[in-house]
Amino acid sequence: MEIDYLLVVLLSSLTSASVLIIATLGLAVIFGLMGVVNLAHGEFIMFGAYTALVVTRSGVPFSIAVIVAALVTALFGAIVERVIIRRLYGRLLDTLLATWGLSLVLYQSAVLIFGSVTPGIGMPQSNVRIGDYTISSYMLFLLGVAIVLVLALYWLLTKTGYGIVARAAIQDSETASAIGIESGRINTMTFALGSGLAGFAGAILLPAVPATPGMGFAFVIKAFLTVVVAGPVTLTGTVLAGGLLGSAANIVASFWTTVAGNIVFFMLTMGLLRLYPNGITARWNRKL
Amino acid sequence: MFKLTNATGGYKKTTIIRDVSLSIAENEIVALLGRNGAGKTTVIKYAMGLIDAFGGSTSIDGKELPVSTAKRVKAGIGYVPQGRNVFPRLTVLENVAAAAIACGHNRKDAEERALSDFPMLKPKASVLASSLSGGQQQVLAIARALATKPRILILDEPTEGVQPSIVDEIAEVIRKLNRDKGLAVLVAEQDLDFCLSLADRAYVLDKGVIAREATKSEILSDMELQHELLGV
Amino acid sequence: MTISTQPDQQANSRIGKAIAWSDLISIAAAVFVLLIISLIVDPYLAYVATSWVIFGIVGLSLDLVWGRAGVLSLSQTAFYGLGGYAGSIAAINFSYLTGNTLIWSLPVGMLVGGVVAAFISWIIFYGRMGVLQTTILTYTFTLVLWTATVSFSTKVGKAVVGGDNGMSNIPPMILGLGDAAKQLEPNAMLVTVVLIAAILYALCKALAKSPFGLIIDCIRLDPVKAELLGYDIRRYQLILFTIAGGIAGLAGSLFAAWSNYLNPSIFNVQEALSIPIYVLVGGRGTLVGAFVGALAVGGLSFWLGGGVIGGQTTLVMGVCLILLVLFMKSGLLGGLAQLFALFRSKREAKQAPIDQTEQRVKIDFDLLDKIRLHANTNSQSVELSSVDALKSFGGVTPVNRVTQSFKKGKVRCVIGPNGAGKSSYLKALAGTYKLDAGQIKFGQRDITHADPFDRVRQGLGIKMQKAQVFDDLDVRTNLWIAAYSRDRNREEADRVSGGMLKMLGMVAQGSKPASQLSHGEQQWLDIGMVLCLSPDVMLFDEPAAGMTKDERRQLSQLIKTLSKSAAVVVVEHDMDFVRTLDADVTVLHQGEVFAQGDIEVLRKDERILDIYLGRRKHVQAH
Repeated sequence: MEIDYLLVVLLSSLTSASVLIIATLGLAVIFGLMGVVNLAHGEFIMFGAYTALVVTRSGVPFSIAVIVAALVTALFGAIVERVIIRRLYGRLLDTLLATWGLSLVLYQSAVLIFGSVTPGIGMPQSNVRIGDYTISSYMLFLLGVAIVLVLALYWLLTKTGYGIVARAAIQDSETASAIGIESGRINTMTFALGSGLAGFAGAILLPAVPATPGMGFAFVIKAFLTVVVAGPVTLTGTVLAGGLLGSAANIVASFWTTVAGNIVFFMLTMGLLRLYPNGITARWNRKL
Repeated sequence: MFKLTNATGGYKKTTIIRDVSLSIAENEIVALLGRNGAGKTTVIKYAMGLIDAFGGSTSIDGKELPVSTAKRVKAGIGYVPQGRNVFPRLTVLENVAAAAIACGHNRKDAEERALSDFPMLKPKASVLASSLSGGQQQVLAIARALATKPRILILDEPTEGVQPSIVDEIAEVIRKLNRDKGLAVLVAEQDLDFCLSLADRAYVLDKGVIAREATKSEILSDMELQHELLGV
Repeated sequence: MTISTQPDQQANSRIGKAIAWSDLISIAAAVFVLLIISLIVDPYLAYVATSWVIFGIVGLSLDLVWGRAGVLSLSQTAFYGLGGYAGSIAAINFSYLTGNTLIWSLPVGMLVGGVVAAFISWIIFYGRMGVLQTTILTYTFTLVLWTATVSFSTKVGKAVVGGDNGMSNIPPMILGLGDAAKQLEPNAMLVTVVLIAAILYALCKALAKSPFGLIIDCIRLDPVKAELLGYDIRRYQLILFTIAGGIAGLAGSLFAAWSNYLNPSIFNVQEALSIPIYVLVGGRGTLVGAFVGALAVGGLSFWLGGGVIGGQTTLVMGVCLILLVLFMKSGLLGGLAQLFALFRSKREAKQAPIDQTEQRVKIDFDLLDKIRLHANTNSQSVELSSVDALKSFGGVTPVNRVTQSFKKGKVRCVIGPNGAGKSSYLKALAGTYKLDAGQIKFGQRDITHADPFDRVRQGLGIKMQKAQVFDDLDVRTNLWIAAYSRDRNREEADRVSGGMLKMLGMVAQGSKPASQLSHGEQQWLDIGMVLCLSPDVMLFDEPAAGMTKDERRQLSQLIKTLSKSAAVVVVEHDMDFVRTLDADVTVLHQGEVFAQGDIEVLRKDERILDIYLGRRKHVQAH
């Protein structure tokens, strides 16, 4: 095997891990940090994708559309938290069922509004040559986006006042209220943050993953498994688990079939969970 | 200044404390004594709005406090919960910062003050709170409560599982804050000596009601009462 | 107090017994009515209704694991679909041998559903995964099957599994053998499915009432306590999950025969979603609720079908699910039951309360002897010991290199100030905390890594600081479950739990839910449960909390009696109580053994007074 081929496989593994990490970060905040099982996470991604699509079609540049999509999805998330999630804190399985219901409502609404097939946004395709092979430059760009996004989120949650207060509220809401933190407001903001990240993911991935009503289902499985495998040290865990699972699945997929890649992803998760039922970072001593 | 009037409350339908009334003046340190299960923690949780109130009220300067715990903290009650409950995956300074930020105070000032009040936290400033020892966690919980700039500090069993040297240190700091800044303190304790080293006056709680009120010298001279309190 | 043994015996005989006649009769009556209806309805309705009953069976399988065991599985449709495919492959290949199809498809479907469920639950329960991880894992399993089967094509004998194109030519339901074999008409099909459903329901009901079912209830209510009674909860969960998987698989092969066609959409999200909806609508934990829900949802969409919502089933289902979760937690049957309970409690309120002044604990030495004699105490003197046991959480080390050994003969008390690590040490001995270093030995055996249930089977019994009782179960059943754990014999459990009930003075409260007992009574009940296990080593964490003076005296005497035949360790706060036990005392402080000896000697030790009372020099100085 030539070196350029290996390099391409490596890069494409890294980029598909990046795609997974980008799609998972929102869930890492909502499920990993807040402990809210949001099965509609995939549909939040779809929500962002369609928002970006609609905004781009109306003539706004794609880069601005991505930001708009993130903000709109965050707002939508805030409403969902106020109307549904808030009543269900502490009732894990009920949250799961309700958000599942929500995911179906969003899916079907998307089918009704946009139909089941939508055109892409027609970004100019450009590729980077590596020896005899090429790799999409947008995919390489996504690798950078993933790195920037993870660092930004880490900064937000560890360095800013909001981040510290939010982490306190999530870790122990009773004690948080006992030092003056109004957990209700903070929880809405954090849920909105997670939703916004999902919306951002849907939008930024749009050139690589076209918007379809069912796109959420594909993401939600892997995102959940990644966060569950990640464990309590959410952000670092997510990056590690996402990197490992995403690239392993990609390697199998590039040598064999996508389905085989998916199956490997699933089997690997099962194996990791059997070894680390509470996630790979369960015994780690880190803050995020 | 701080007053509980006819406090009656408990969990769901079970009433645990009944008609508890107590008051604490500015500059005063008051102890809340009683055996295991007498209802000390419940009284404190009542004051913080953390349990169901069936009757009575909590007030500062004659003004009744809102129901929300967070708002009570902002109104001037600093709270150190039983079992400390530091945020395990926040660093020591972040624990302090969270309280300061939540109450709208300057983060840097709060952090600096915490380290100067409690020098033992300095070497641990940026480690996770979960890796502190029990005594250090207790100190952190107090530093955190002080970061909300309270007018009254309420401590629930601050000596539980804390090594004696740190207990002494805690007592020293509380006494100093009381002396220098006029901080009022309510401390619920089983550790009689710790209480008496601080407080001039105590309420004795038994089976959810105030059984008696006594001054320090009354308790010190009454061996019977001492033994009853300690269950020894 | 004199209480006739007659009602006692009757009450006993109900616990853990198979399904009662009255239940069977009501099932039979309901089935009879359904059969009559099945025969006279319009064939098209009969055809559609058959699918509702099949969905009801899948719902039943979910309610077994969710309603009874408290584990929300979202992979019931996966077992259902796999069972459907497997059963159909069997029917396609082998039905020519007998003419009959169900005889092939049902067992194969059931087997495959069960085996796959067993595998999944092995991963889940033996990995001791949390409730949430379980649900997510089962959900992803279903979705992965969905994505995988879309592109999965193969040929098994005459059966063609065609990926997204599905599998067609699945033979219909054919009963009768050889020449008598003929395809069922819609009404006959409905009758068959109703009968199968009734049998499955009756079996599940019987299972729920059996000791196995009771243990499952206990695991739902308090898995930790269930394990501390010596039950390997993982095994019970795995078996239940396997049974439920088998039922779902059987339903799948019925469905395949009904529709004559299967495709991967059987694994899709809507299918997976509809099952919990049926259970929620009907009422979780009732078993029959699954059928009520399936009929209600199926019936409703049948009458509305073709109307406005015809094409928007997904949307309506999604909204329904959100509303159900937010506003109607206990479902149709649950709502009815609540109404009924309200009505009944009004009537009962008028009845005079039972006079309980006579109720008090009375130690029955005879009973204790019997239990003890029965216990396999072939080992004359069992010794529990810890060597350098260490347990830490972050920077806190509640158990710091504790070396102790406990033998029968004299009670051992562990005392120390709040937070000294007493409870943690007991938990480490019982196995609910796993040591970070050091060793725990039971007799000659090293049990450092043994699971709690294993230690209990060896002869350990523990009462935790907070009384652990199974809230929703009545007092008698609580004791029965503990007694049953010892030698898995119903009559023996009846006898021991009946005796213990009398000894605790709780005969009149026998059929009260344990949650209605006072704090002190719950302590006694928990102690009674431990005694029913007849352990060689007993650990009691603050057993006297919440008890009256009189009860404390009883308890003290009981503990002293027990210590003659078993090693007894008591963690206690109340020094008065400790003194009555005439015990050897170990003082813990900061997780370490601080001192050891006789209580009266230790009481005079200034150092101990210092740490125990928090007495320090600065007090006097101030």
